[in-house]
Amino acid sequence: MIGDAEEFVNDYMARISVAPDEKELEQVRLALFGSNGALTSLIKEIPTLPKDQRGERGRQLNGIKQQLEAAIAARLGELRGARLADIVETEAIDITFPGPPLGRGYIHVLTQVRRQIETVLESLGYQVELGPEVETEWYNFEALNLTEGHPARENWDSFYFTPELLLRAHTSPVQIRAMQRIKEPPIYIITPGRCYRRDAPEATRLPYFSQVEGLAIDKALTVGDMKGTLLYMIQSLYGKERKVRVRPSYFPFTEPSFEFDVTCGICNGTGCKSCRHKGWLEVGGCGMVHPQVLRNGGIDPAEWNGYAWGFGIERMAMLKHDIDDIRLFYESDLRFLEQF
Amino acid sequence: MKISYEWLGDFVDLADVSPKDAAEVLTRLGLEVESLTLVDLSQIVVGKVLEQQKHPKSRNDLWVHQVDLGGGRVQQIIAGAPNAVPGTLVPVALPGTTVPNGKVVKDMNIAGYKASGMLCSAEELLLGDDHSGILILDSGTPGEPLTSVIPNHAVMEIEVTSNRPDCMGHLGVARELAAGLDRPLKRDFMPSFTGTANPPGREVIKVTIEDPDLCSRYIGGVIKGVKVGPSPAWLQRRLRACGVRPINNIVDVTNYVLLEYAQPLHVFDLARLEGAEIQARRARDGEKLLCLDGIVRELNSGMLVIADAKRPVAIAGVIGGEETAVTDGTTDVLLEAATFNGPSIRQTARALGLRTEASARFERGLPPELALAGARRAAGLIAELAGGSVHRDWPDVYPRPQEPVRVRLKPWLVDEVLGAHVPLQDAEAILIRLGFHVKVLGDGEWDVLPPVFRLDVTIPEDLVEEVGRVFGYDRVPPTLPGRRHDRWTPLVPSIDRRLDAAREVMAGAGFTETWNPALVSGRKLEALRVAAYAMRVSNALSDEMDTLRTSLLPSLVAAVALNRDRGRDEVRIYEIASSFLARVGEKNSQPEEPLRLAAVATAGTTADSGRAAFYALKAVLGGCLEALSAPPCTYQRGAAELFHPGRCAAVTLEGRQLGYLGELHPTVGASLKVEGRLVAFEIDVEPVLALSRIPRAQPLPRFPAVERDLAVVVEEHVTAGSLLAAIKESAGDLLENARAFDEYHGGQVPEGHKSIAFTLTFRSPERTLTDAEVDKVMTEIKSTLEKRHQARFRA
Repeated sequence: MIGDAEEFVNDYMARISVAPDEKELEQVRLALFGSNGALTSLIKEIPTLPKDQRGERGRQLNGIKQQLEAAIAARLGELRGARLADIVETEAIDITFPGPPLGRGYIHVLTQVRRQIETVLESLGYQVELGPEVETEWYNFEALNLTEGHPARENWDSFYFTPELLLRAHTSPVQIRAMQRIKEPPIYIITPGRCYRRDAPEATRLPYFSQVEGLAIDKALTVGDMKGTLLYMIQSLYGKERKVRVRPSYFPFTEPSFEFDVTCGICNGTGCKSCRHKGWLEVGGCGMVHPQVLRNGGIDPAEWNGYAWGFGIERMAMLKHDIDDIRLFYESDLRFLEQF
Repeated sequence: MKISYEWLGDFVDLADVSPKDAAEVLTRLGLEVESLTLVDLSQIVVGKVLEQQKHPKSRNDLWVHQVDLGGGRVQQIIAGAPNAVPGTLVPVALPGTTVPNGKVVKDMNIAGYKASGMLCSAEELLLGDDHSGILILDSGTPGEPLTSVIPNHAVMEIEVTSNRPDCMGHLGVARELAAGLDRPLKRDFMPSFTGTANPPGREVIKVTIEDPDLCSRYIGGVIKGVKVGPSPAWLQRRLRACGVRPINNIVDVTNYVLLEYAQPLHVFDLARLEGAEIQARRARDGEKLLCLDGIVRELNSGMLVIADAKRPVAIAGVIGGEETAVTDGTTDVLLEAATFNGPSIRQTARALGLRTEASARFERGLPPELALAGARRAAGLIAELAGGSVHRDWPDVYPRPQEPVRVRLKPWLVDEVLGAHVPLQDAEAILIRLGFHVKVLGDGEWDVLPPVFRLDVTIPEDLVEEVGRVFGYDRVPPTLPGRRHDRWTPLVPSIDRRLDAAREVMAGAGFTETWNPALVSGRKLEALRVAAYAMRVSNALSDEMDTLRTSLLPSLVAAVALNRDRGRDEVRIYEIASSFLARVGEKNSQPEEPLRLAAVATAGTTADSGRAAFYALKAVLGGCLEALSAPPCTYQRGAAELFHPGRCAAVTLEGRQLGYLGELHPTVGASLKVEGRLVAFEIDVEPVLALSRIPRAQPLPRFPAVERDLAVVVEEHVTAGSLLAAIKESAGDLLENARAFDEYHGGQVPEGHKSIAFTLTFRSPERTLTDAEVDKVMTEIKSTLEKRHQARFRA
């Protein structure tokens, strides 16, 4: 029987070593270790042997079992390795072939820009305040020192429903409403929203547009604080190499009043065709809140002062993305909207 | 407004200040120079026309000139205007030259005639807008550069803010520039009076103001014995540079003073006024006036006119009358310098659709003191340029003289507001340069008297601005405010940022966000029958945008149509914006402005494709609400104007209706020529956000689930929703989830019936369920469905 054993082992070792694939190897394994397998049968015979032979026979078969199992495991490793090697060798694909259309939708570029502005100013502690788009004459004009017959009113030519009711020409009414609601400064708010002015549609302006205004009311605020806030905002949105300048201007609701400009992103302020050789691009208006406006909002100008600024979201988006026609924002042409 | 750099030089020394530098200083002071045109005439030469003949061959009207260019050189030059007659001096641009307006001159041959150079018009030399003829020079020597007659110059286009009417003339601009450059202004504001002739002017003409609210001052200067003729070249040139056409010396002086002082003036031919009388009064309804521009205008009582004893002779502050205008034969004139009410002038100019140089200034509210300065300056110039004598003691009707406004300034306010240190003596010097009087009081405060032409300065902050802008805001360092606060408001995410969660779902589902105008066509809303609560603008720009939208859907459908037109077949879009719903019976109340989320998607043309698109969109809406952390909403059959009556669901969240989901009514798409079906939803989002809750973590299940499918055959009218309700009710605690996944007609399903397939998921939190337990529940469910909905079951 011992001599048979050697032959038995050699025979199966040979079959293991030539098994061409994992399936054949599994057949060999079953032929040995399956419930009717050759080795299983031999092991099953042990109890029929005379008692004194059982121990040695058991050890012998156990040795054979371990040897063959190890051989199968080794062969399995070889075969698997070869198969995986074959997979990576033969299955190269054309990686330049495009993926199928994702069919994703796009978020409007004005939403994206508005989101950036909100995020930047929230980081300075400003909160978003909203107000109605259909406003009363008092909130839209009177409370902001734009009294009836004021020569500056021509810049805020508005759409009226009744002599008392109109589409807001700016988001400034929200500032008054916020002062009245919050009552006690400090007040740091921004007021994004849609506005309306009676301007015929053209490439640079529309009768409807979106604004963000900011308002800070606190103790002892300065023009310097306003400049710093604008600079922080602009650099956060457009990059830290940008500069901001304020130019004296006139608004009835601020004193002093300014326009604020940003260095042109194309020439970095040296002057080029796109900034009409000025080096600066006009962005918006700003100023120190007029004492009467504070009073109209119920805030005592002897104790508090403030600054405010405003600009068009469209203008910011146009500067950021080189958009040359404001009408594109409101046309809903997917060929435009899918660019951002 | 056009400002001539050379003219500014009359008032402030600009020898060492280039036009570009001057423009920079003005911009920084708040007078924004929008453009600067430099006119370089050094390449243009003076020529003298020797001969002129009509071009014999050309079909166009052309004239062939022989032009003496000095030194015995004569060139043949062809021009299209006939006014360069022999003997005139003209500006000549020789071949190779680029004239100031950018035209390049070349040697040419026109129908057989050589043309070597160009005779220039004022417009080509940027000396004015006149391109009707060749500019005729009144002096010069052939061959010498044009600059020996007309110096190089520059014109700035300046935007003057509405609070500074005093800067709508060269003197005001020069005062700013002088302050910005810290050098003296060479001219006093108030010229001296030159009237000498008798009798006193007020004996020659009687002036009355009927309505002092509309006319606060009227000066009528009588000047007799003038000789009307052309103005001198320098004056004409300055007018042209500012875009004003010279007419005659009298009219030109009034325009000149307007451009210098910003005070509009008018002159009447005294002989043509009836009754030696001037009234400033409201027009009578129906009165007419033949104006200087040749147009007869009908007037009404809202307009102020200047009238003689019989009739209106001018529309106050806007335009004069033709019948009393100065002509070549005029010898005696009445010079009007008045102050009119700004809003009234604006209203009149608007009503007439006529905005003139005069009305543009008056409507900003001119100081009455300016009228006197303008009258004196003009009277002096007329006497100088047209001869004549100014009668002394002219009528100056000024019923309520301007009260001086004094401003108390705590000078340290300047530093406090600016956030930079301005030495007191610098601040004082700045105010003085700008014409303010500063008196330092014992307590250190300043008593400041603004100049008479600065009605805009009334509060201390105005003075801070004056100091700040001359000091230079560039010198104010940027800082961020930062105080120790004992009170703050915690950050609340904005509504728009909260809605970003819905935007993410929409984007993932292939929907692109749009922003559409809120002003739409009221007519179209009516056609769609959604105009019931619409608010109509009373002064719309066009009927395409005369009404506030009551729903976002018509805009979205229009956007679908636009994209279809531009070649896009499949369109999925949405918008987040307010709709506007008038409050019935409250004309002056602000409307409701519900913030809405609305979406529209295209579907195929078949009923089935519309149905499939409906369910797909329902899933998108459900996804949005889930992303907003709102509880699930319910759907009931609904009816809304824009929707297909059989395919419309009212969307309800915790008892509150949010809006509708459905296929759009076929007429909606058809009205915009959109082929195929459209599905849409529109919901109010504020109630959704109000119900939004922070999701709480649930423990993960520890035992496996058992899934069973159930195909229920019921009559056509029984809804999946009612079956689901019955299933949930009868299943007890072990049912974790039930979902309808298929609806089937035909086959073994009898006529008038349908089969709905459900997947039911059972799970116990305590143990692994046995088949027997689940079977028992299934039996209970089936029995309930049988009883309640006469259901049968397919294997």
